[in-house]
Amino acid sequence: MKTYTLHASGMHCASCPVLIEDELTCLTTVTNVKASLKLQQVEITGDFGDVTLETIAEKLNTTLKLHGYRLSPEKQNHTAKWHEFMIALPLTLAFIAFFIVLQKIGLVNLITTDKVSYGTAFFIGMIASVSTCMAVVGGLVLSMSANYAKEGDKVRPQLFFHLGRLVSFFVLGGVIGSLGSVFQIGATGTIVLSFVVAFVLLILGINLLDVFPWAKKLQLTLPKFMGTHVHGLKQMNHTLTPVLIGVATFFLPCGFTQSMQIYSLTTGSFITGALTMFVFALGTLPVLALLSFSSLTIHTKARSGVFFKTAGLVVVFFGLFNLHNALVIAGIIPSFINF
Amino acid sequence: MKSTISAVLVGVVLVGGAVIFSNQAPSMPSEPTTTISNVTDNDGTQIIAITAKGGYSPKLTTAKADTKTILTVQTTGTFDCSATLNIPSLKYQTNLPPTGVTEIEIPPQPAGSTLEGMCGMGMYGFEIAFK
Repeated sequence: MKTYTLHASGMHCASCPVLIEDELTCLTTVTNVKASLKLQQVEITGDFGDVTLETIAEKLNTTLKLHGYRLSPEKQNHTAKWHEFMIALPLTLAFIAFFIVLQKIGLVNLITTDKVSYGTAFFIGMIASVSTCMAVVGGLVLSMSANYAKEGDKVRPQLFFHLGRLVSFFVLGGVIGSLGSVFQIGATGTIVLSFVVAFVLLILGINLLDVFPWAKKLQLTLPKFMGTHVHGLKQMNHTLTPVLIGVATFFLPCGFTQSMQIYSLTTGSFITGALTMFVFALGTLPVLALLSFSSLTIHTKARSGVFFKTAGLVVVFFGLFNLHNALVIAGIIPSFINF
Repeated sequence: MKSTISAVLVGVVLVGGAVIFSNQAPSMPSEPTTTISNVTDNDGTQIIAITAKGGYSPKLTTAKADTKTILTVQTTGTFDCSATLNIPSLKYQTNLPPTGVTEIEIPPQPAGSTLEGMCGMGMYGFEIAFK
């Protein structure tokens, strides 16, 4: 029985050490495991026989590989891979240019009616998804997609997100239709939410860039006390979290969503309110789905680095855009972006 | 390497072009027209007309100071952010109807002051300069 210390790579959140401990304790050769997120280390006690540290690491890696972690006897140096920006930066700039052009061509002028039919709601949803609301919900979707793709789970969390979004728009739309303004957020609430969205996007974006190791400490995740000894924690993180984010998008600051909610309020009917919000969310689905499944374009390892850097830069841009808007409505700075 | 540099250049040109194009387009037609077309005098009350759809127009209005003012905001099928109008200095906030005219009373403003209005998320705005 001996204790070994191995360096771990791939630990990025408070639930990771818990998962590693859970997985490794199940092995018959292991008696005790202690994983540390801060040190990026795993201390392992067990009876492996007379073998080298490399062999032990390899053995454990066969279990951990599925979850995206890697143990090794030496510390893996963090490499920023700046060269990936050579491709990621122009891609990002092209995307930003495309985004600005989209805002300038006056898509809203395509809406000529003031009567909200389900057809109109769908159409308004489509326009909303390429409007500045893309900087809010789209940014969130893109960073979520990239973050889950890093853990090798490209499709399922995205499906849960869209399911959560569509169902919540139906249910909450019905609730405001029948009960009236129960969720009126108000001016102060909008400002607070805008700041929250801005900071969340900035943190997620900076983490995706993977150039500042210190940013990992800011990673948003469930607190560890909630994670400890919960079985199927990763399971929960990959199903419940996307569903909740999908539900939360109902409340995120977006002019179009707000207009549709105000219309739903006036209908006074559960089913009309529910269907209006649902159809509106359906209208936003094509573009959001495009963003959430963008990670499926990663086929090679070389490409994945470029993808994460591009996604990171775009998300940081969206974060800064939201921060600017939040500062403007809070009256802290004068506006210098005015579409 | 060469292709990367040219790609960066193309990107910068695209963004720069989009920004320049976006800054020029609204200011060119609005500058000469604003002062004459959207402020009317009605029995000592000046009426400032502004339209809201995908932003506010005109973005800059020059009006008389120390005068009772009514701001009329017209919407025509407006479902975007500009429907949630904020005028922070008046602590005014409203949700404009998708189509209609909303009248907002503005107390007389001192000369040299600027009244700023913006949409609920902050990316559309307009200014009224009092002279």
